[in-house]
Amino acid sequence: MPSDPPLALGPFRLRVDPARAAAYARETGGDGASVPLAYPAIWLAEPSLFSVVRDLCAQRDVVPVHESQSFSYDAPLVAGESYDLSVTMSSEETPPRLTMVGTVATPQGEPCARIETILRLVPRAGFGSAS
Amino acid sequence: MSDPIKVGDKLPESVIGPFDAPSLERYAEVSGDANPLHLDDAVAAAIGLAAPPVHGMKLLAAFEPMLRAWRGDLVIASIAGKFVQPILRGETVRLSGRVLRATENEIFVRLVAYGAARAPGIVGEATLRPGPAT
Repeated sequence: MPSDPPLALGPFRLRVDPARAAAYARETGGDGASVPLAYPAIWLAEPSLFSVVRDLCAQRDVVPVHESQSFSYDAPLVAGESYDLSVTMSSEETPPRLTMVGTVATPQGEPCARIETILRLVPRAGFGSAS
Repeated sequence: MSDPIKVGDKLPESVIGPFDAPSLERYAEVSGDANPLHLDDAVAAAIGLAAPPVHGMKLLAAFEPMLRAWRGDLVIASIAGKFVQPILRGETVRLSGRVLRATENEIFVRLVAYGAARAPGIVGEATLRPGPAT
């Protein structure tokens, strides 16, 4: 059951950093020949975006636990290129969850990818200082 | 020409890890996911885990090289995963895949990651399509 109206964030202009894409590929078993499909996960951790999640969790005294993730592509991301990421964030009460749906498009507006992140919101008790 | 893909085909299993603490620290640094649950034994212990869990995204992303190694002539149109239970630091991880649907234009693959537990750590899926003609 939705508890709050969806929150629209962005668009954020973000770049696929070639060195970071190569490092991400290395840490996930890839050869770095192309930008990893999961690379946009890096963007979701950007302070400008994740600070909204952090603040919401602090208000509710919960910890976000990654429940599921998806990436769907119309066109591959290209290292060195910039993209616009727009995110819609919505929350549910039962069970407590935060869903972030992101769309990635070129600066010219051509759609490239859709990403969905679902975070389960778990009471902080028992999580120590996790955030 | 590649062999036709059939429903029920199994992808070659990929074995990765075990991942040690420096490996998780490197992933945290490159991904920006600095959640101490993955890096701090005390935080993991506070919720009853014997060791910090490997980042789910690190494991989900590892399916991409497996899929490319299986059929590099196909384009991965989507990949998704549900993080069912933690796979812990120090555990060897088995990545498996099985074709659930296969048409001329689209292949749908069930993906599963196992750690040391009998139950899967990640249950996922991927959609692949024929690549551009070269």
